[in-house]
Order: sequence, then C-alpha cells, then structure tokens
Amino acid sequence: MATPNIRDQAYATGAGFQNEGLRERPVGVPVVPAANKVEIDDSKLKRKGKDEFDYESIIAPLLFTFLAFFTRLYKIGQSNIVTWDEAHFGKFGSHYLKREFYFDVHPPLGKMLVGLSGLLAGYNGSFEFKSGDTYPPEVNYTFMRIFNATFGALCVPLAYYTCKEMRWTKGATWLVTLMVLCENSYATISRFILLDSMLLFFTFTTMLCFARFHNLRRESFTPQWYAWLVLSGLSIGCVCSVKWVGLFVTALVGLYTAEDLWNKFGDLSIPIPTLFIHLVARVVGLILIPTAVYMANFYAHFTILNHSGPGDAQMSSLFQANLKGTDLTDAPLDVAIGSRVTIKNMGYGGGLLHSHIQTYPDGSGQQQVTCYHHKDSNNDWFIYPPRNHADYDPTSPDLRFPGNKDVIRLIHSQTGRNLHSHAIPAPITKADWEVSSYGNLTVGDEKDYWQIEVVRDSISNDYSKIRTLTTAFRLKHTVLGCYLRAGNVNLPQWGFKQIETTCVKENKPKDTYTHWNVESHWNDKLPKADVSSFKSPFLWDFLHLNVAMMTSNNALVPDPDKQDDLASLWWQWPILHVGLRMCSWDDNIVKYFLLGNPVVYWGTTASLGLFGVAFLVYLLRWQRGCKDLTKEDIDEWHYHGFYPLIGWAFHYIPFIMMGRVTYVHHYYPALYFAILVFGFLFNFFCKKLPTKVGWIVYGITYAVVIGVFILFIPISFGMKGPASQYAYLKWTNRWRIA
Amino acid sequence: MVDTPPVRQRVGRKKTPVPGSDEEPLLDVVKAPVPKPKKTVSAKSSSTAVYSAALVACTILAFVTRFWKINHPNEVVFDEVHFGKFASYYLQRTYFFDVHPPFAKLLFAFVGWLIGYDGHFLFENIGDSYPANNVPYVAFRALPAILSTLTVSVVFMTMWESGYTLPACLTATMLVLFDNAHIGQTRLILLDSTLIFSMACSFLAYVRFYKHRDQPFSRKWWKWLVVTGIALSCVISTKYVGLFTFVTIGGAVAVDLWNLLDYKRGLTLQDFAKHFVARFIGLIAVPFFFYLFWFQVHFAVLSRSGPGDDFMSPEFQETLSDNVMAMTAKTVNYYDTITLRHKETKAYLHSHPDRYPLRYEDGRVSSQGQQVTGYPYNDTNNHWIIIPPVDFPEETKLNIPVRNHDRVRLVHVVTDTVLLSHDVASPYFPTNQEFTTVSRAESEGKRHNDTLFEIRIEQGKGKQEFKTMAGLFKLIHNPSKVAMWTHTKPLPDWGFKQQEINGNKNIAQSSNVWFAETIPSLTEDDPRNHVAPKKVKYVPFWKKYIELQKAMFHHNNALTSSHPYASQPIQWPFLLRGVSFWTKNDTREQIYFLGNPVGWWLASSLLAVYVGIIAADQLTLRRGVDTLDKRTRSRLYNSMGFFFLAWASHYLPFYLMGRQLFLHHYLPAHLASALVTGALVEFIFCLEPADEDTVATEKKDLPATVKQQSPSLVGAWIAFGVITVAVFAGFYFYAPLTYGTPGLTVEQVLRRKLGLYDLHFAK
Repeated sequence: MATPNIRDQAYATGAGFQNEGLRERPVGVPVVPAANKVEIDDSKLKRKGKDEFDYESIIAPLLFTFLAFFTRLYKIGQSNIVTWDEAHFGKFGSHYLKREFYFDVHPPLGKMLVGLSGLLAGYNGSFEFKSGDTYPPEVNYTFMRIFNATFGALCVPLAYYTCKEMRWTKGATWLVTLMVLCENSYATISRFILLDSMLLFFTFTTMLCFARFHNLRRESFTPQWYAWLVLSGLSIGCVCSVKWVGLFVTALVGLYTAEDLWNKFGDLSIPIPTLFIHLVARVVGLILIPTAVYMANFYAHFTILNHSGPGDAQMSSLFQANLKGTDLTDAPLDVAIGSRVTIKNMGYGGGLLHSHIQTYPDGSGQQQVTCYHHKDSNNDWFIYPPRNHADYDPTSPDLRFPGNKDVIRLIHSQTGRNLHSHAIPAPITKADWEVSSYGNLTVGDEKDYWQIEVVRDSISNDYSKIRTLTTAFRLKHTVLGCYLRAGNVNLPQWGFKQIETTCVKENKPKDTYTHWNVESHWNDKLPKADVSSFKSPFLWDFLHLNVAMMTSNNALVPDPDKQDDLASLWWQWPILHVGLRMCSWDDNIVKYFLLGNPVVYWGTTASLGLFGVAFLVYLLRWQRGCKDLTKEDIDEWHYHGFYPLIGWAFHYIPFIMMGRVTYVHHYYPALYFAILVFGFLFNFFCKKLPTKVGWIVYGITYAVVIGVFILFIPISFGMKGPASQYAYLKWTNRWRIA
Repeated sequence: MVDTPPVRQRVGRKKTPVPGSDEEPLLDVVKAPVPKPKKTVSAKSSSTAVYSAALVACTILAFVTRFWKINHPNEVVFDEVHFGKFASYYLQRTYFFDVHPPFAKLLFAFVGWLIGYDGHFLFENIGDSYPANNVPYVAFRALPAILSTLTVSVVFMTMWESGYTLPACLTATMLVLFDNAHIGQTRLILLDSTLIFSMACSFLAYVRFYKHRDQPFSRKWWKWLVVTGIALSCVISTKYVGLFTFVTIGGAVAVDLWNLLDYKRGLTLQDFAKHFVARFIGLIAVPFFFYLFWFQVHFAVLSRSGPGDDFMSPEFQETLSDNVMAMTAKTVNYYDTITLRHKETKAYLHSHPDRYPLRYEDGRVSSQGQQVTGYPYNDTNNHWIIIPPVDFPEETKLNIPVRNHDRVRLVHVVTDTVLLSHDVASPYFPTNQEFTTVSRAESEGKRHNDTLFEIRIEQGKGKQEFKTMAGLFKLIHNPSKVAMWTHTKPLPDWGFKQQEINGNKNIAQSSNVWFAETIPSLTEDDPRNHVAPKKVKYVPFWKKYIELQKAMFHHNNALTSSHPYASQPIQWPFLLRGVSFWTKNDTREQIYFLGNPVGWWLASSLLAVYVGIIAADQLTLRRGVDTLDKRTRSRLYNSMGFFFLAWASHYLPFYLMGRQLFLHHYLPAHLASALVTGALVEFIFCLEPADEDTVATEKKDLPATVKQQSPSLVGAWIAFGVITVAVFAGFYFYAPLTYGTPGLTVEQVLRRKLGLYDLHFAK
C-alpha cells in the first residue's frame, strides 16, 4: 500500500535505510492472513532452533541462575543483627511458630513463608526481633535469609525465560536478565527476612505466565493453554497474597484479558458458544482461582493462629472467644448494672469503644471518644443506671440486669466521665453529632443517657438481658434520638489516628457500624460462664480482617511533624534521588545501603521517555502516511512494549496518589517493568543495526551495567568498618552512604 | 451527503451561504465538497423565524424565572457572605485574599461602582439585613441573574448551531430554564452564574468556529477562534474549575488537529503548523494574557492594606498603603523591654508572682513555679526584657538588633525572673510542657539551657532583623523544641481565669504564632522613633502574580475541612442531597439549594442511555452488524460525543479532589448533560434523519413549516411536550424552596423531602 513516493520520502529522511529489510518483508510474504503468518514465523523459529541447536538456551539460564544465587547469597549471614523491617516480618514469622494471633496490614502468604523458613531452621519463635538486636545463637537467621534470598535469586531465570517467551533476540534477553541480576537494590533487599523478594518473585512469575499465555493465544483450549491459564491464576493469587501491590500486576493481566476478549469478540469466525467458553475459562482462571488462593491463605492463617495474641482486638468478639488462651470466655454471661465491660463495634474492622484524657481540638472541646483496636484500660466502661433511677450500690447484693429498651449510662473507668453526645457536629463526619466524655459520677445531664436496642442475640430470643459476646445491640441517645456509630473513619493526628465515633441521626437498623456487643466483662457478683461454643463463620472473619487491614493501611499516613529520614516520595524513585540506610551507621557493624544500580535506574527511566518519544514519532508519521512499521512490528510494540509500559504505570502512579508513607522499595516492582521497556527498545532498534554493530552496542551496555554493579557491590554485600571508606560511592549528597 | 437542515437556513438569513456540511458541526470525516444547496429564501427565513421566536420566548421565560422576587430574601444568604464582602473590599480598595481568581468578583465590584455604592457593608453574617444596612443588593443580584438568563439563550443557540431540530433545542433549553439549581444559584451574589455563562459561551463559540472549518484563516474563523479563547479565559478567571472547560475544548481540538494531520487530507506540514499555531495562540496564549490582565486590575484596584495582608510576604505587604507594618515596624534591640502578643487570641505574654498549685484537679503535680499566663489587657506584668544567652560586654551592649534564629532569654520586668520551659506537664495538657520563670541567678547557673528560646520568624529569610508588628514569629524552646502556645480555655481560679501558656510539641501548628507589639522602653529621642514612614514600595507585576498564585493554590488545597452540607460527587447526578442556604423561623421560609429532580434524573438517566447506545453500537459493529447510517453515527459520536465529553470533564475530575465539595460544583456538568439530553431526544424520537431532503430532493422546495410537521418530528415534539410538562411541574413543586417563599407547612415540607434532603421545618 505504500506508494512509491512515500517510500522515497522515507528514504530521503534517512530513516528508511535502516528499515529497508523490514519494509520489504511484507512483499516477500504476500497476502497471508495475519494468523497464519505468525504461525509460519513460529514454526520457522523453531525449525531454526533445531537446525543449529545453540547451547545458549541451556547454558545461559544455568549461568545466570548460578550468578544470581552467588550475588544473593554471598556473605548472607555476615551481619548478625536484626536489620530494618526484619523486625516486623521476623516477628510475624515468630507468631506463626507460636501460633499467636497478630494483626498486620499485609496479607499472610509472605509471612507464612517466613514462618515456614523459621520452622525449617528449627527456630521456636521465642526471639523478639527487636530492631538492631543481635541474633541469639539458637536462631538460624542465615537459613531464614537464604530461604528468602532464593526467591530473589529465582527472579533472574524468570526474567530470562520471560524475554525468551517474548521472542527477543539473545542480546536483549541477556540485557534484561543482566539488569535484573546486577540490580543492587534487588540484590540487597533479597538478602533479608522481608516480603519484597517474594513479592518480586510472584510478580516475575505472573509476567512469565502472561508472556507464555499470550504466545499460546492461537492454541486455545489445548492442555498447555489451560495449564498456563491456571498457572497465571495461581501466580496472581500468590502475588496478591503477599502484598496488595500485587493487585497492580493483576490489573495489567486483567487489561490484557479484556483486550484479548474484545478482539475475539470482533473475530466473526469465532462462534458465540466458543466465545462464551473463552469468557468462562478466564473468569475461572483469572478471577476464581486467584480468589480461592487468596482466601485459602487466610484460611491457613486462621487455622495456624489459634492462640490469643497481640492482634486479637482487631477481630470480632466471637472470633476472639474461639482463640485459645483468651480471657473472654471466662466472663459472666449476663451484664448487670455496675459491670465493667469493653464494648466492641460489630462492623467490619470495628474496634473497642475508647476514651482518653485528650480533648477535641474543635467542637465541644470535651474529652475524645474513639474506637481503638488494641487492648487498653481506657477501653473499660462501667454500666450505670440513669440518675433518676436508684443509684448503683456496690455493696448491696441486688442485681439489676438492663435489657432491651432500658436506659443506661456508661462511665469511662479511667477518667470517670460519662459517654455523652450533643448537637455539635462531629469532627470529621460533620453530618453526625459529636460523641464525647463529659462530667463525672455526679456532674452531668440527661444527654448522658443511652437506650439499649437489642438487634439480635445468637443464643436466645429473650431480649430482657444483655449477654456477653452474643447480644448485638444499638445505643440510642435518648435526647437526640441518634445512634452511636463508628464507621472506620480515622481521626487526624490529634486523635492518634483512632476511629472516629459519632452519633448518627438516621435510624438504619441494618447498619452494622451502629451494632455493638459486650466483649470483656468483669463483675465479681456474677458467676462465670463459658460462651466459646459459638463460632464466627470463616467468610465473616475473612471480610472483617480485610476491612481492618484496609483501615489500618489508610491510617499509615505520614505524620507531618515527624521527621522521617527513611521515607521518600514518588518522584525521588525513578531518578534514584535517595537511598536508604537499612541499619545503624556505627563503625563496628556491617552496614547495608539500599540503593539501586544507577545505570539501571537512570537508563530505564530514560527509556520510558524515549519510548514515549519514539511512539509519538511513529504515530505522527503513520498519520502522515509513512508506513514505517509492519504488522508484526506493531504487534511487538503493542504486546511487548506497551504492556510493560502500562505495567510500570500501574505500579508507579498509584503511589503518587497514595496518602500513606512510601519508601524506596515501593518502586521495585515498577522497576522490573521499566527494565522490560528498556529491553524492548534495545531489542527493537538493535535488530535494525548490522549484527556486529548491534553486538558492540550490547557489549558496551553489558560492561557498564556489570561494572557499576561491581563498583557498588559493597552496599549490597555489606560494608565493614567505618562508612567513610566508602565515600567514593557517594555520587550525590543525597546518597547518605558516608 | 446531506445539507440544508434548519441551521443552514439561519446562515441564509445572514445572506452569507456557507458551503460544506455545517449541519454536522463536529463531524470529522473526510468528505467531498458538497454541492451548494439551492433554497428558496422564504423557506430559510421562515424556519429561522420559528427558531428566533423560540429563542426570544425562552429568553423571556428565563428572565422571568431568574428575576422573580429577586429582592427576597432581603438578608445575606449563604456564600453571599464571601462574595458580597469581596465586592465591598474592591470598592474600598482594601487588599483581601481569596482562592478564586478575580474576574467574577471584579464584575460585582463593577456593578457596585456603576450604581455608586461605597462598599461600607461587609456581609459579616448570614441573615444580616440588607435594607437596614442600606446595601443595593438587588443591583448586585441582577448581574448573575442577567448572566443566567443569557445562559439559557446560549444553550438554545448552541443546540441550534449544532444543527438540532427545534424540539431537541427546546428540550435542552427547558432543562436549564426550569432548573431550580441554576435559578437558585444564580439569583444570589455568587460566582457560579459567571462561570456557567462563560462556559456555555465557550461551547457556542467553539461550535461556531468549527462550522467555519472549511474556510480556515478567514476573518470569521479567526473571530470565533479568539472568541472561544476569551470565553475560556473568562471561565478560568472565575474559578479554577474552568480548567475542565479547557479540557473539553482541548479534547475536541486535539481530535480536530489529529484529523487535519491525516495525509489523506492533503495538508502540507506547513499548513498543519499554521493550524496548530493559530489554535495555540487563540486558545492558550490569548486566554492566558487575558487571565493575567484581571490580576493586573486586581492589584491596581486593591492598593490599600486590608484583611488579606497576612497571606502575603512582607515584601508584598510593603506595596500596600496604610500598612501597619510599613508604618510602625521597629527593629527590636537586645535589652529592649517588649510586649509579646499571641496572634490568634490576642493575649499578651504575662506573668505574676503567684505560683502554680502543687496538685491540679486531676491529681497531676506541677513544678510550683511562678505562673506564666496569657492576659488580654495592657499591664506592666506584660513587659519582658529580651537579653542574649550570655550578657554582652557592658560598653557595647546597646543597639544590637535581635535577628531571626537568635537564641534569647526573656526577663520578666516586675519580678525580675527569667522565662523557662521544662519537661513538666502543663495544667491542662499532659502532653504539653509547662512554662514558668526562674530567678536570674538560676538562669545564669544550672537552669541556663532551659531558659534559652529561639526566635523563628515566619517565612523569615536568613538573619533578618526582628521587628515589632511585622515579624510574626514562633518562640521555640531551645533544648526541648516546643513552641510557646496558648488557647482560649481559661485557667481555674488559681490562675485568675487567665489563659494557659504551654509548650506545644507540634511546632508546625499555625496557632503558635506571636508578634512583638510594642517596645515600652523606647525613649522619645531614640532614632528608631524618628524614622520617616516608609514609602509604598513597587514590586513588579510578575513577582506579585506568582506569589499570589502560589498562595491561592496552597490555600485551595488546604480547604479540606468538612462542612455539614458538603456532598460527594457520586451523589450529584442522582440529586441525593442539597444545601441549606437560608432559613427564617417566623415565616417558615427557607432556601434549600436543590436541582429540579425531574430534570436531573432525566438528564442523568439519558447519560446512561447514551453510554448504552454507544456500547451497543460498538458491540454490534464488532460483530459486523451495522444498524446506523453514517450521518446518524457521526452525529452520535461527534456532536453528542462533544457534549458528553463536556459533561465527563466537568464531573469526573471531582472524584480526584480532596477539598470539600458541594452540589453547585455539578452545575456546569448539568448544563452539558442537558445538551446531551436534547440531542438524544432527537436521536431517539426522530426515526429518520431530521432532514430527509437529500433522499427526496423535491421536498426542499416545501415551506419549512410543512417540513417541521413531517411525521419524523412528531415523536420529538411529543417527547418535548411531555418532558416540558414534567420538568415544569417539578420546578413549580420545588419553587418555594428555591425562591425562599412562601413558607411551607410541615406536610408540604415532608412531601418535598426525598432522599437525604435535610429540609428545615419538617417537624
């Protein structure tokens, strides 16, 4: 279709020369439908492979894998102190060994693997993993680190095979593999007991599955095709079960799948039933399987952690009652006037009704009332009668049991103030009324009165009493007619990021955030009962925990008053503006500095821009009628250029918008996609160079990447002695190596 | 190819027949030149007459609805508090600060100036009476009402210019004409009327510009290009949501340019560059300079110091006349006696011989040191001598100015003790440090470090001198890094109900700011008393503009506090919640800002229908089934696509915004959704293209009236009739809440209470 004069034009620009061979290709394969053509190409490639069987495909991955294990494992046990977030993840691993329930914002898979490594290392879970502590001799931390580093090392062959699946030239394949291998930040972060190596590993496997599945697109419904679909699903499930960041690579695969289905939908040769099977296969493979994997992880999490531990208060009261060693089950059943109780919000992720001496900065200025997720004596409330009833007399043996529709007062045990609400807008949810603690035993008014409305009781239809754990009730303010509610809205720093508690005007009986139950209960006058026989369903616990994780994640926002030297901002990552000191900078400890290979970072970031420019140029030239690219070229750009670019954007842009604290390692998954874009550009443009020139270009790039990696290797292998020895690595002032 | 829809006939009226295919204003397909239509003049003009008559009728109705009882209520309503106040500031020429650009506010000031109002009333509170204060509020309100009336006309003309049939034009117009939200928001002293009018004008101007695309670089082509640019500039000079209008027009321009670039169009690259540059000039350069122009006017008008001074740098403030700073700022020297005042609560730093009680009510203990409090009145106990950490040699100790970041000590004159803070909890705040004083001897001795404070001047540069009045500063306790702070809750009787002073760990808090008010020790003949008042300084426009622009963005982002009537973007198209503007208890009257539910729900559901049609078309096309003819599809994607883009770009970005949002932010998007609705009515109810004269050329000679009665339009007219009746009914039903009169009984209020409408007087 290219008219001669346009072709001349192209030659005149000089660009045409390089494209000559390419440009001729369509002429050589005349009028073959696209599908067949690709298959021909495929078979040609395979045949070629068999004809001159190159040992590269065996030797290269072996060599790379060996080097990967070397760079990740060499001197791995050198530093015997708890480094950086090992303090968290090592501790979480210990909880699995001790089977104590804990709470964390990340899904459990990565931490269960840490636990597994501890189990294999013969560790009993007794070490506290305090940041900066020395490992005691009984903790085989070297083995635990090796276990983690294995995931990091395996990323290298995965990158190699991914490039092979994309049918890149040897030069480009080696380049990408080398860049992953010689990436200091990957090498460093893989050496510790952290989740990042696992996250990277599963991101890499997902990309491999993606590339492989794309290659199989013309062999739908073969066993191989099904196998890789299921593998993709498993991989996605795993990556999402390590950190929620995995959702971004999931989105990438989802986008590809949507586009693929859309193309199939437009292919009139595919009958509708076949289309339907395509759709069902993807729903099962890419939605149901990952969900099942994700839920299975939580199932294992709940099964392993069957003892009471530090994270109890995040969960519903019933869940806690089923943990071994909890004190909840050992409480009186019926709640009486004078009982000391903690009151739990029954919404997903609900906390315990809490108050503390700090006051509201606006509004009434009275004492704050919040919901809090940790056990604390400020969660305790006394149930008192309203002032117009007979006063509670602790010495008298009489017992009064408040029930449905009865009016009570709640007195905060630590400050003696009454739970109170008034017609002042709440601090965040302005449409609701503020809830505060006010007055004391004697000072107060009728705005301290709350009417109990029983919603349900899981063991009885008798609503005349409130029972520990089993009775769900609402508290209605007698004067304003509003209902006590805590809806997972975090207060600002002045409220310590606890959950805002308000009085909501609308009467919505189904709103579980207005439902409360008594969790702990103390009353010496009453006999103790065992109520642990009521189980909370798994699905409910699962949702509850996930909502709680989301709420806590949202609360991890930077504190503007706190100088956080470790945190960094999104714009600093691609330009390698800062690094991160992973441990204290004492002369006599082994120091690790988390910093990428500058060539890789700057090169990949530049390649992103270059990709955009090249794309724009091609697009404008296409609109001007210049046929620079063949159909295969366009497919190559589309699937092996654009998808990695989108993957990079998916893994990067959310961090720009995210309010939470961010660190350099949040860029690592995105970096892999940037490396792929870099490799794509090399692959695409070096193909056009004469073979020798191409190899020279590749050779120089390899040398620079490897050279800089070796130059910076002390920051990954650990720097011994005074940091000033390594001042030569401090290329900019922001890299606080020395 | 088709031609001669009603629009063309309008062209005929102007006796400049335009060749080509302007009945599809945003059609971007490549097409062969269309033969010029042959039309009888009578048919053209009679159709034009029908359109013109409809336009006039709509305008009159719009005028009536906008001006109906415009003098009611005669009190300050809702945000009139702000925008009325700003007009007064302009008239008084006192500097103020606001997050919105100046254009619309200058318009109000212009109205005030025209009628000779002096701006004495400051619109302090909602409910303040206008007649009692002698404010010409009707004139003020007439401006938005007029612009809103014209908005209705512009909507009609936009539809007309885009080539829609009369019922379609009228349907779109009715949705805006009888919309309670548009009326309610635009008959008060608010900016939205200007915003919406400018936005509608930029759509109209762009459609007209686009219709001249067959004569690029002609006089008219340039005219409408520049008009589009100026209209765009007015939008963004009113509020920054005008950026969304740029996105809308920019999107359409990008598509247009992309098609021009197509080599099949035969444009050379030079031609294309000319197109590109022309649009850049018309739609970016001209609007930008126009936008800057308003800032120049703003600075020129506001020449006197006023409430906005505090937002600006000292350098900027010195450009304003009557500025306290410029007049009285004096350098503070060491060994001066000074008084320190808290900026927010206006309390002086005070001390007296009484001591903190050993034990507070809640059982915590104090240091029992001398009380340091905040006291609002003049008193010798407010006097403090500012001295260096280590005394200067006696002979050279005078006339050394205190500078930013200097460490100083403050000596209380009456008791001769030195201010100190330490790690003891303050009376009210267990988290904050107590402030007290110690004797001079202790201050020289072991407590020396605890008596050191750093003067940290707000936005201070380097080692600048510390001055009275001008230099707002924070007093940071040197060893513990807490800031001296006070609040309004009075101390108990032991503290004589004076204010508590304590050390706030949150240094960044803006309420930590103090200033030195006077230097009582200054003698009459001190040279500092005899400095001639400074002249008003000159700062170049660019510097002032950039500083103001930065401050505006900064404060706009800081508008995150919540408001009882703020709403979420998701609630707007469904009209789930309104805003209470004004209430009057004795007459049970209220203004509750709310759209016309019938109109809004119709418009929103038709947006969904539009998306559905596009999706259905894409799906069927994908399977090789083509249900639409080329012209209809072009209309669906280009003209309606433009309106839909306008809606989306004026609505969706709000989801990304963190600041507080209100229902009135949806008004621009609602106008766009009305355009989509009108266009869809034609699409759905006209079974054939409106002008089938290409198919049957002989019909061309029929009079226009006959054509309009042709069967294809009957459906559309019926739809128009039904919609108008329903919309009017909805408008009439909610009119008492829009106009604020008459008052409603409980049942009447309850009948109008849908969704989350928090109406007053419902009990």
